[in-house]
Amino acid sequence: MIERDVVCPFCGCLCDDLELETEGGKIVKVQNGCSLAESTFMNDTRLPAPIRRTETGWEDISYNEAIKETAEILRDADRPLLYGWSSTHGEAQSIGVHIAELIGAVIDNTSTVCHGPSILAIQEVGHPGCTLGQVKNRADVIIYWGANPVEAHPRHMSRYTTYATGFFVPEARRERTVIVVDTRRTDTANIADEFVQIERGGDYAVFSALRAIVRGNASVIPRKVAGVSKEQLIRIAEICKKAKFGAIFFGLGLTMSRGKYKNIRNAIELTDELNRHTKFVISPLRGHGNVYGSNEVFTWMTGYPFAVDFARGIAFYNPGETTAVDILRRGECDAALIVASDPGANFPRAAAAHLAKIPTVVIDPHVNATTALSRIHIPCTAAGIDAAGTAYRMDGVPIRLKKVIDRGYPDDAEILKKIYDLLNGGMGP
Amino acid sequence: MKCILNTGRTVPQGASVEHKGSELYSTVASACFLNPVDMMMLGIENGDRVRVTTPAGHIVLTARPAEGVARGEIFVAIGPYANHIISSETHGTGMPDFKSQSVDVEPTEEPIKSVGELMEAIGGLRYDRT
Repeated sequence: MIERDVVCPFCGCLCDDLELETEGGKIVKVQNGCSLAESTFMNDTRLPAPIRRTETGWEDISYNEAIKETAEILRDADRPLLYGWSSTHGEAQSIGVHIAELIGAVIDNTSTVCHGPSILAIQEVGHPGCTLGQVKNRADVIIYWGANPVEAHPRHMSRYTTYATGFFVPEARRERTVIVVDTRRTDTANIADEFVQIERGGDYAVFSALRAIVRGNASVIPRKVAGVSKEQLIRIAEICKKAKFGAIFFGLGLTMSRGKYKNIRNAIELTDELNRHTKFVISPLRGHGNVYGSNEVFTWMTGYPFAVDFARGIAFYNPGETTAVDILRRGECDAALIVASDPGANFPRAAAAHLAKIPTVVIDPHVNATTALSRIHIPCTAAGIDAAGTAYRMDGVPIRLKKVIDRGYPDDAEILKKIYDLLNGGMGP
Repeated sequence: MKCILNTGRTVPQGASVEHKGSELYSTVASACFLNPVDMMMLGIENGDRVRVTTPAGHIVLTARPAEGVARGEIFVAIGPYANHIISSETHGTGMPDFKSQSVDVEPTEEPIKSVGELMEAIGGLRYDRT
């Protein structure tokens, strides 16, 4: 059977033009997807049943037992941490927030180690962004800054930017100028019209230099800024000013480098400056399929996009204090519920190590590094493969993930709802 | 040799990310890309092993040449190998220094650990029945 217009849930592009061939309840072919999509749908090995760590190894347990014990762990905790949420649908995320409010937990999502700093910058100076459809149809200058879409978002350039045919840019690549700014000469840099190789940690200075040039103050710029020649900076500024519509996409090269959210603030202020000459937009390249959705859901429900602490009975937000890495680093939480993510692999060792010292429960379709650190792992559906639900694309457009096959696993929203009910004496959220 | 550790996504890392117990994942996540000139200075060849040390600990990785990596830098795919040595300090932002960790790189004969071994080193217990 051929299923058309399937959405790939892997990265923030949420490409919705895939064709999947299924046979006897199995996916046998993926068309239109990148290699990440193919791997997502074709190599989907799951944990067969809930498991619990014992003194000597692992034992299989029933779903009811696993859910009951999880509720007990959360009920007994003084400072529980609920973390992850970016690879599942909004329906599960919202129940997660309800649980956090009910038990006074800290709830954080993976943007904390991804584009959290971008959100901090946006909270300071706003977000002059637009949908990817606008970029596809209008942008004649594309800038990738501290981002490597060839590796991280393989179809971004063919669907929305460099190679995409747009209404006002019908000749696609021939009409679009692509600028890549990075410390490494990446595969993305290799296809750029202009590659700007900057010294590590020099992003802030280069943004400031470009702002000065765009303002007409090129005379104050030294011969080189963070390894970039003044001539190239002036050339880049001219390309940007002459653009009909420019779009900057930035990645973790800005959020994780020295300066962190201040880099993004300066990037947004450069965009602001360029808008005095032409139309320019800026947006983060979001990683996980529904990480944007976790920010949306958290914000609707609590007022804050990540790192929300309910210990006071109200929503409190203070990144650096209520963020997952900091809470784990300080050894502050005494229980953890990890949903649809893998902090065991993606957090620095000292933070991940705390998960093994406390009762940690994982709800995730796959065995991952955090499984080894957990007390209980409960397998569930994977959103977009065997569960339908809402996810948000990197530009904030909600897209309905489809259920393509049935593998007999319970939906994580269903598992979370049962945990909520047990914590709330049988009353639903 | 003093270097700066940069981390990021790669296609092979992304394609095997849900199979962290696999040999393939271990291979792609434990690859350490260096500038060929730095490899020459260290006296190592493609496929040799390096011990990368920070105040947070040390890890053994496989050296791979990459022209695009600047001298004085190394690149490792995001994952448990890089995170084994990255500091958990976030400078009040929630975000560790995933792209600017100072490291010391030296040749070694020590073996590469599996993801399971890395997790067991911090109190975990690997599950490998799938």
